[in-house]
Amino acid sequence: MKLADLEFDTQDSTTVAKITGEIDLSNVATIRDALTQGVPNHALALVLDLSPITYLDSAGIQLIYRLREDLRVRGQDLVLVIPPVSAANAALRLAGVEHHIKTAPTREEALAGLQTSD
Amino acid sequence: MPPEPWTPIYPRPPKGLGQVVLSPVGPEIAPATQVRLLYRLSDPSLSELGLEEFLDELLNRVQEALQVDTVAILLLDDENQQLVARAAKGVEEEVDAGVRIPIGQGFAGRIAQERVAIFIADVDHADILNPILRQKGIQSLLGVPLIVEGDLIGVLHVGSKTSRTFGQQDLALLQVAAARAAPGIERARLYSALEQEHRSAMLLQRSLLPKKLADVLGIGAAARYLPATDEVGGDWYDLFELPGGHLGIAIGDVVGHGLAAAALMGQLRTALHAYAIAGHPPGRTLELLDRFLQAMPDFAMATAAYGVLDPETGQLTLATAGHLPPAVISAGGARLVDIEPTTPLGAMSFGHRPELETQLDHGETLVMYTDGLVERSGVPLTDSIEVLLKTIAPARTAEEACQLAVELVPLEGLKDDMAVVALQNTEIPEVLELFPAARPSELAEIRRNIRRWLRMRGASGEEITEITLAANEACANAVEHAYSPAPAQFSFVASEQDGLITITVTDRGSWRQPRGVDRGRGLRIMDAAMDSVEVREAEQGGTQITMTRQLNS
Repeated sequence: MKLADLEFDTQDSTTVAKITGEIDLSNVATIRDALTQGVPNHALALVLDLSPITYLDSAGIQLIYRLREDLRVRGQDLVLVIPPVSAANAALRLAGVEHHIKTAPTREEALAGLQTSD
Repeated sequence: MPPEPWTPIYPRPPKGLGQVVLSPVGPEIAPATQVRLLYRLSDPSLSELGLEEFLDELLNRVQEALQVDTVAILLLDDENQQLVARAAKGVEEEVDAGVRIPIGQGFAGRIAQERVAIFIADVDHADILNPILRQKGIQSLLGVPLIVEGDLIGVLHVGSKTSRTFGQQDLALLQVAAARAAPGIERARLYSALEQEHRSAMLLQRSLLPKKLADVLGIGAAARYLPATDEVGGDWYDLFELPGGHLGIAIGDVVGHGLAAAALMGQLRTALHAYAIAGHPPGRTLELLDRFLQAMPDFAMATAAYGVLDPETGQLTLATAGHLPPAVISAGGARLVDIEPTTPLGAMSFGHRPELETQLDHGETLVMYTDGLVERSGVPLTDSIEVLLKTIAPARTAEEACQLAVELVPLEGLKDDMAVVALQNTEIPEVLELFPAARPSELAEIRRNIRRWLRMRGASGEEITEITLAANEACANAVEHAYSPAPAQFSFVASEQDGLITITVTDRGSWRQPRGVDRGRGLRIMDAAMDSVEVREAEQGGTQITMTRQLNS
């Protein structure tokens, strides 16, 4: 059984990627590749929706940092969708990095935040 | 093939020339001694030997009874309106060459079309289509139609290499042979066709049933499929893992038998699995399956039951479509799940499939079965289900439940095929001890077990999330750093004393302090999630991480 699944939705200049399932050491590399390849060059930002995630650990946090680096090189922004009570939030909070990453509690707020910053 | 130089080339005589149509005669004219030779042809067991054997027997008996040089049987190919040489004695070349005679033409073709007996005194000067008869030096021929319940199925003819006038006694004998053999041929033909279909269907059935059941710790699974004694049906079961560590258990029964039912079964089983892994709950999955079935041309009806078990919580969600209610075995005995009966798949355009939410507690086993297991002629269904419940009640495992259920199968075999599948939420031990391989792919399974175990110890949702994170980080450390690149195992032990959870992860690699950005963050997570974290060199040289946390309640 695949631990996680990935769905893309690109509108205008923003790509939204939703991950369901669990992210751990076993699948971080393939998820990172899929995300980097799934964001077209013309996109200005990636909104990574982690709200349906049921598990995220330190390997997943490392993935977020590396992905942010990958996108920065291409001039693309990264915003995470992480509800306050969620598996992703628990990991970020315990690792003490929740304030080091750009997050929004909902997808709508993430997209709205991107528009105002343009 | 060009005729060999010494074979005389005969111009084909005009249609019907030299053929003498004989009026039927009564069987009483046939000499009794010879008729006795033909008796065995109406023995039903003879046709069960298969078509080849039956025809062979027919050839021998006819040759002996009529004292002829050749005997040939041509069977009707209905689709092409041709007679096909199927068996022969003395003129085996006919069969080898695959001689085909159009209905209405030549000797055999006319017998078939007009359903009359025809005698040819002199083959050389008669209208026959098949050159082999001449090449073999046959002089005289006598043929009769093979008819079963008013339908022509072929032609039987005998030949003599010396000029012979087949008389009324010969005709009577040949008619008796044809009358006795025709039903047998039809039966043997049908039998061979069924046999062929049965074999194909069995093969298909076997290829469609899951080869290996989902292998999840804390879950016991078992299943049985038994074909009916003489026919393959459309029973199936399935057990699979779903996203999030949930387990799917399904069973179904396509109405009807044979290859078509087995093929439809395979399609339904695959479709159900596909809807299930897309995340649809049981009720919706069956609604979609119904739509899938009804989108097929000439669909048959089917019943199905589908359940999803969350092994962590024991929550079981069930839905059925015209299927017998599943049973649950617990320490107190076996009972039927109280699920509302619904219509089968394919019965209604908009079948709503209500779901039943229930609990499969530790030690309990869910058993799904098809009606082949319980339907016995003359016994009311409620009675035989009662017997099933009594029979499986003592089972302590899923495997035992299936074993006991199969004991209900009568010795002489089943009229209908049957499937039974069982899923147990096994007891989780007081102390959770795991020895996983040091591979990243093992982590998800370890997390599932620790979550289940923590829930049993009374941990809250937040405690489960946080302790699982810490446990996973300790295991990831063992996987990433303890060994490389050779595969190895590490140990994971979790215990609880008065609400104090202690987790110890020990690898047998060489000692090293957790390091690197990942591990640094991992250590931070462990520190934040647990009350105490201790990393030290294990006795055998590896690394040991011991963590504790006091549960709130």
